[in-house]
Amino acid sequence: MNNSFRKSREDIIVDTLVWGLSLIVLAATFYPLYFVLIQSLNDGADAAKAPIYWFPRDFSLENYQLVFKQDLLLTGLKNTLLRTIVGTTATVFVTSMAAYALQRPNLKLRKVYVSMGAISMYFSGGLIPLYLVLNKLHLLDTFWVYIVPYLFGFFNCLLFMSFFRNIPEALTESALIDGASEFKIYWKIIIPLSMPVFATVSLFVAVFHWNDYFISSFFITTESLQTLPVILIRLLSLSEAQQEIQRYIGNNTGSSVTLESMRYATLIISIAPITILYPFLQRFFVKGMLVGAIKA
Amino acid sequence: MNKPLMATDRRPGSASLRGKLSSPQVILQLMVLPAVLAMVIFNFMPMFGMLIAFKETDLTDGIFGGKWVGFAHFKEIFEDDRFWMAMHNTIGMSILKLVITFAAPILFALIMNEIRSNAYKKVVQTISTLPHFLSYVIVATLCLIFLDPQGIVNHVLMSLHLTKEPIEFMAEAKWFWGLGSALDLWKETGWGAIVFLAAITGVNGEVYEAARMDGAGRLRCIWHINLPAIRSTIMVMLILNIGNLFYGGSNFDQSYLLGNMFNTDRSYTLGYYTLDNGLIQMRYSFAAAADLIISTLSLTLLLLTNWVAKKINGSNIF
Repeated sequence: MNNSFRKSREDIIVDTLVWGLSLIVLAATFYPLYFVLIQSLNDGADAAKAPIYWFPRDFSLENYQLVFKQDLLLTGLKNTLLRTIVGTTATVFVTSMAAYALQRPNLKLRKVYVSMGAISMYFSGGLIPLYLVLNKLHLLDTFWVYIVPYLFGFFNCLLFMSFFRNIPEALTESALIDGASEFKIYWKIIIPLSMPVFATVSLFVAVFHWNDYFISSFFITTESLQTLPVILIRLLSLSEAQQEIQRYIGNNTGSSVTLESMRYATLIISIAPITILYPFLQRFFVKGMLVGAIKA
Repeated sequence: MNKPLMATDRRPGSASLRGKLSSPQVILQLMVLPAVLAMVIFNFMPMFGMLIAFKETDLTDGIFGGKWVGFAHFKEIFEDDRFWMAMHNTIGMSILKLVITFAAPILFALIMNEIRSNAYKKVVQTISTLPHFLSYVIVATLCLIFLDPQGIVNHVLMSLHLTKEPIEFMAEAKWFWGLGSALDLWKETGWGAIVFLAAITGVNGEVYEAARMDGAGRLRCIWHINLPAIRSTIMVMLILNIGNLFYGGSNFDQSYLLGNMFNTDRSYTLGYYTLDNGLIQMRYSFAAAADLIISTLSLTLLLLTNWVAKKINGSNIF
């Protein structure tokens, strides 16, 4: 619809407004993250003297070296990574497998399962009963409390189901006649054909695991099981962060790392993975989301 | 559960155990089993467990034990000033957010749709949706850094002579609601726009051609084609948003991560009230009763909004 007519005055006004407003949104979104990045790459003591707005003034990687030397942060990073990988794999497997079975017309009790899912999406028992259930199952304060309660989500299941339904049924039927089992069809035919929806749901689940601070704050007490976001919260409380700094500076005299600069480096480490992966995954999930949105 | 299924199996003749276990029906049932178990244990048992709101329960009792106390907890909650404070803050913050953050994604989608360069459109979409994927811990940290009395926002405000003294954003309660809305705006506008943009993109190109032939400019196209195209999407989103008023998406995160002893009058929300009484003071039944009140209110509101929307223009989300 563009360029077939000469630009009218209205076109010029609209275009200017669109450019102006979109640039403002871009700057407002991007700058805070960029600001954190340049602070994290600057010498700590130097940054404390005068504010830095555009480029690192005294380039230094010492902040990152400090972060990667700290047991507390390393444990957090390790747990977050482990939780994200195990949790995402398990959840995507359980959910997609169930979704495959739920869209097979010959599954008995199908209606019952689907209504259970719909109810679970709109109602919840709330935090306290869940906590008591987790306690009875001895899941509290174990690594598995990160994984097991979140194995199945009906919203993600709907995304899978609507994608699977668009795969020609002839493929499934002919494989069944050839003697393949339902599981084999799911594993060998459906999964390879459904990469966009797998990428979408994996992204959602992985982001949930990477970002969550609630579970590690309230369902976990052991320090060696804590995740990165909780460590970040603790760094926010000054006194504790000060102690960490002191412990580090104690055996590294002449270091210029400050509380602030260390906090910036930790922030960047927890922002980096999603920021780097996101542009690549985005084209998948827009596709996967739209299919789901139309159905839902 | 599997017994009656066997009787109606596709191959009733195959009597051997191996044959039965590998029948398509059994395999399908096994494929949904983990999901169904997860739902029963982690969704339906807690739902049943809401009954502890009418009991006095401790950790060893679990959801099945405890002594019945009737409505005692509810009575105490309704007499608790902190509950009403939390209610006031939750509703206030949610309504403010609804007003401020609901129109923004619609407007942003309309703007994005007018961007002619596809490459630039992609850049805008990628960057503006990114904050949705950041943890609230990070957003809260950024907020504390930027709004610090010595931070960049105060620096700019002071150099523009908009304020003489640095503003104590975190220590003065009056800023908290606005702050919460601003953070939501930053985090969710781009993401929220995706749904609307998809609906606009779905409009047939011929409609625009026809409108142009009739002499419609771009603003009139936006008003008469794009807006009507997303009308039903807007209604659905509005209903979901209003239904979510009491849980209020980010209210808990903001309350927990940014609340402090100075702004507690405005930052203490219902989600935090439950957590505070339940997991911190370990009054499990009392907190469950609070949660039950909140979910009953939410559900009522959701059904009511849906009913009103249906009366007004026939769109219905269920």
